[in-house]
Amino acid sequence: MIKLENVSKIYKGDVVALKDASLEVEKGEFVFLVGASGSGKSTFLRLVNKEESPEKGRIFVAGKDIAALSAWKVPYLRRNIGSVFQDFKLLTNKTVYENVAFALEVIGRPRHVVKTQVPAILELVGLGKKMGNFPNELSGGEQQRVSIARAFVNRPLILLADEPTGNLDPATSVGIMRLLDRINRTGTTVLMATHDRSIVDTMRRRVIELDRGAIIRDQSRGVYE
Amino acid sequence: MAIKVDYVVRETAANLTRNITLTLASVLTVVVSLTLFGSAFMLNQGVNNANDRFKGGIEFIVYLQPDASQEVIDSVGKSLRDNPDVERAEFVNKDETLVEFRRLFKDSRQLLESITADILPPSFRVAPKTQDPEVVQALGDVYRQKAGVYDVIFAFEVVKRIQETFNKIGVRFLVASGLLLLAALMLILNTIRVAMFARRREIEVMKLVGATNWFIRVPFIVEGIIQTLIGAGVAVLAMTFVIRPFIDELSQDKVLPIFQGFVVTDANLVFTNLLVVGVAVLIGAVGSAVAVSRFLDV
Repeated sequence: MIKLENVSKIYKGDVVALKDASLEVEKGEFVFLVGASGSGKSTFLRLVNKEESPEKGRIFVAGKDIAALSAWKVPYLRRNIGSVFQDFKLLTNKTVYENVAFALEVIGRPRHVVKTQVPAILELVGLGKKMGNFPNELSGGEQQRVSIARAFVNRPLILLADEPTGNLDPATSVGIMRLLDRINRTGTTVLMATHDRSIVDTMRRRVIELDRGAIIRDQSRGVYE
Repeated sequence: MAIKVDYVVRETAANLTRNITLTLASVLTVVVSLTLFGSAFMLNQGVNNANDRFKGGIEFIVYLQPDASQEVIDSVGKSLRDNPDVERAEFVNKDETLVEFRRLFKDSRQLLESITADILPPSFRVAPKTQDPEVVQALGDVYRQKAGVYDVIFAFEVVKRIQETFNKIGVRFLVASGLLLLAALMLILNTIRVAMFARRREIEVMKLVGATNWFIRVPFIVEGIIQTLIGAGVAVLAMTFVIRPFIDELSQDKVLPIFQGFVVTDANLVFTNLLVVGVAVLIGAVGSAVAVSRFLDV
């Protein structure tokens, strides 16, 4: 599903974010990216949905070389990739329903699809009764559920999660992880960057550890360190 | 993928009202610049229309001395009629000149009271056979030398003067409107930039979920064009109901005879208005397109 071949990413000022990284992620896998801040986890995720382009190497997503992807095709790549962030990135002036519906509307989905898909996905993430609330009326965990609903409503092949539990307490984090696990079991490939030791150790999934841009460990059913 | 009309309408309406003061500033600048531009254009057409009446046959007028005797008048008249280059020469006596003078200056009572037929020059209005300005000039110059002739006035001199005067006005109007159009362009660019900044979170999410670049851009470009179109609408109203009646009034003003024959036809007005709307769309599209391509990193 995702393949990196000798990928290097260097930011301005010779900051090496990723150094000659090669790996392959199969369809339906759940992968943790661990490592200290600045080790290249976020860059890894940003390369996959082409928010960044590598200086060297090739990246394949669903069999396509995305380095060769022209700018106007990038949106279509991103329709197959859902993204979840530590800070949720919800629109505060829109309700829960509108936030999720927005993601479908702006990619031109017909109204009847929006009307059926949005309540269904909100029911799935456990927010069926809060569709009319605004994000600031929800707890952090609930807001993250909305953002997961928005990322998943289009049934993407891949879900990228950049420290999705970074702002949440341990109990709430467990709930979010259950949700991601459920999404993973529908066949969606999940890539999650995290600092949360207990989550990684409990879930026992594939762990890729990065250190100053280099992959130093790739372990199936791994632990945090 | 088709961009939904109701989406664009909703987004554009929200953008326009969000920054109402900035929107108003752009719209007003567009109004003033386009009105100036349209006025300059309409004046130019008025000049062309005014000069049209001289094209019927270039004339010159031989003015005689006010105290010229009947013999002198007859001699100049005979010379004109016998000249093979002259098609026709029409004598205008002192009394007829006074009538015309009274008509031209009917609003200046003091001037009229001080003028009597005695001090006005009789004249011959001459239609030459050829319309070549150089030949007409040479022909007129011959009569300027004749005894009893006060002066020779060429129609094309008048035409030239009107044209020069209005070219000067027109150029200044065009420069001013050009500068204001530039200001309007930059204001639109900045309005769109502010609108994009206000919606940066939405734009970020749209990019993330895979909205196409044009889907993100179109509402902003439509916003720019709508601003200039509103401005153009007001400018069109101003030109139709203020500027054109003003020009009509000037053309009937006998104190400013230079404006006589100054007519702006309905066709001129419609053409000018269409041009103004065209320029408006261009300014709006260019301003917002530049803003979108420079400040919308998609």
